[in-house]
Amino acid sequence: MSDDRQMLTEVATGLFRDLCTPEDVVAAEATGWSERLWDALAGSGFPTVSVPEAAGGSGGDVADACALLTVAGRFAAPVPLAETGLLAGWALAAAGLELPEGPLSVAVGRPGDTVRLTGRRLTARLSRVPWGGRSTRVVAVAESGGQRFVVSAPTAAATVTPGRNLAAEPRDTLVWDDVELPEDAVAPAPDGVDPAALRLRGALARSAQIAGALARVTELSVRYTGERQQFGRPIARFQAVQAHLVTIAEEAQLAGLAAQVAALNARPDPSFDDVAAAKAAAGEAATVAARAAHQAHGAIGMTKEYELGQLTRRLWSWRDEFGGERCWSRELGRRLAAEGADALWPRISTGLLA
Amino acid sequence: MQFAPTALSPAEEALRAEVREFLAAELPPDHRPALGFAGRHDPEFSRTLAERGWVGMAIPQEYGGHGRSAVDRFVVAEELLAAGAPIGAHFVADRQTAPALLHFGTEEQRRRFLPGIAAGEVYFSLGMSEPDSGSDLASVRTRATRVEGGWTVTGTKVWTSEAHRNHFFAVLCRTSPMEEGRKHAGLSQLVVDLSAPGVRISPIPYLDGSHHFNEVALEEVFVPDDMVLGELGSGWQQVTSELAYERSGPDRWLSTFPVLREWLRERPGVTDDEAAVLGRLAGRARAIRHLSLSVARALDAGAAPAVEAALVKEVGTRFEQDLVEALREAAGTELDQGSGSLFCSLLAEAVLTSPSYTLRGGTTEVLRSVAAKGLAA
Repeated sequence: MSDDRQMLTEVATGLFRDLCTPEDVVAAEATGWSERLWDALAGSGFPTVSVPEAAGGSGGDVADACALLTVAGRFAAPVPLAETGLLAGWALAAAGLELPEGPLSVAVGRPGDTVRLTGRRLTARLSRVPWGGRSTRVVAVAESGGQRFVVSAPTAAATVTPGRNLAAEPRDTLVWDDVELPEDAVAPAPDGVDPAALRLRGALARSAQIAGALARVTELSVRYTGERQQFGRPIARFQAVQAHLVTIAEEAQLAGLAAQVAALNARPDPSFDDVAAAKAAAGEAATVAARAAHQAHGAIGMTKEYELGQLTRRLWSWRDEFGGERCWSRELGRRLAAEGADALWPRISTGLLA
Repeated sequence: MQFAPTALSPAEEALRAEVREFLAAELPPDHRPALGFAGRHDPEFSRTLAERGWVGMAIPQEYGGHGRSAVDRFVVAEELLAAGAPIGAHFVADRQTAPALLHFGTEEQRRRFLPGIAAGEVYFSLGMSEPDSGSDLASVRTRATRVEGGWTVTGTKVWTSEAHRNHFFAVLCRTSPMEEGRKHAGLSQLVVDLSAPGVRISPIPYLDGSHHFNEVALEEVFVPDDMVLGELGSGWQQVTSELAYERSGPDRWLSTFPVLREWLRERPGVTDDEAAVLGRLAGRARAIRHLSLSVARALDAGAAPAVEAALVKEVGTRFEQDLVEALREAAGTELDQGSGSLFCSLLAEAVLTSPSYTLRGGTTEVLRSVAAKGLAA
């Protein structure tokens, strides 16, 4: 890791350790987020890391943003850190739109979503928008008159129907009914700024968050099984329990490294193969490691107050957000098949680029 | 535990391109890919590969090798395995015996064996397992007795791969009696010539009927003093470190890759279900490759990533097996080694041989114990 990124990670870890304790995460479930944490993050400029300074962001690259997201995932941070900079901020900056104050969210063209733009009048229905009701704006891509636009829709003008994921993080449905958008809210979308690109970034973000959560799940599982005594010895001495620990560790490492490589190769944009492989690996790792971690913990892991559940409920949610394992595997498989058998190995063996 | 992301340098990429070009020219278009490092024993191929400098890469030049890095070896090995090249003759000597000779061998032993290994001409088997000794290597009963000028060795080794074709094997045996509470002491490694008087090699048919395994019975085989490998009494430490070297390379996750490629080659197009299988396997291979390459880079940096290597082997060998089952389900065919479809025939071979992947070089269960101890540390 570069020295700058290492420092960023350390500073962020300190901040989350102070302001995002397991108790804070439980407390945030009532409202779906932590204002105090958000204010501190915003004060440090963390939410807009990877958005160019010239566009009002904090600078840095996609790998910096993903390093932060990995820390955030580890602490189960209940704030739209990924959505604000890496997704919404990126699209706004690319389209030359202003980066508004406050948390932002994004819509990536989920099935059933509709966005209709006529001039500056917006009629849209966007579902499962992360922290949609909490955000000042929701960024979406709309087709109008044969052209593509980036839309920065004010949440205040929408009707919000709250929804939640398994970890009680807001996933809201927002409806704009023929709303006149402000002038600073629409601009033509440059090439490469489209729902598929936003979804790819979303999948990369969730992969990084899953990697962070899995690293913490590994630590908790090793610690608990080393302390918990049954039959007169720590349960980590039993081979059957060791097998769970190894499963958790290897899935965490596999998903973590795949996410890191995908983030490091995003110069400036993430590559499809990297992200598809990383998100599929993250989803599978989330499933397998969560199961093994709960098995290793026994009943304590099933309680709300113990930290494990804050992480596993996020793993069970994040694995499906911005596309699940099967969805990314299928799309990757389609692309690989199109290139034929002899291209398969060269594509697989493309790792981190020098 | 740390797996750092690492990229191939331009020189490493150039090496890869060279190997790809060589394989495209060397392997005939209708070649049946070998599955994994033990897939096919072909001395001619090993010698040709050696002429290119791709055997004995880790052996220093003064011993006839090439003094290359672990990552260079990784690059060559993954290209060979992905292509299904027949590397079975030299691979074990190159991967396992050469590093042991370098670390523990005498100068004379290095000069005697390493040039032949690097030339792709001297092949080794492993002499660890016995009828009553598998994962618990300290329980070996093969015994060496002091005689003038050396030792006489008596005992039986089993599951000795390719002993009928190879030249030597490093035998783990007791050179002093087992003492209560110190079962790992008193073991030594002796290099035994497989053509020496008193060595009797008999086939143990492999479950597919092929001749791969052997029983090697040693009856008062004379081994001169200068064929003791490393310190007398340090055999256990030596073989366990030897196991660490062999753990995390591409040979632990690429054995069945050619089955996937041939499956794709025989598809006219892919359905959604087939695309999902292909994407999952390819994505996972990619992710495991990142881990495996990371360990090679760490080795070059002088680290001793034993736990990481155990994890890679555990996850990699399970992947090799998962790939086979995923393709079997997707193909919906009946298995027949004699099938006219190369894919079906390879799949059948893979089903029959893949159980060995999670056994050889340390069973999955033993690896999990190694890794779990490392995690707790």
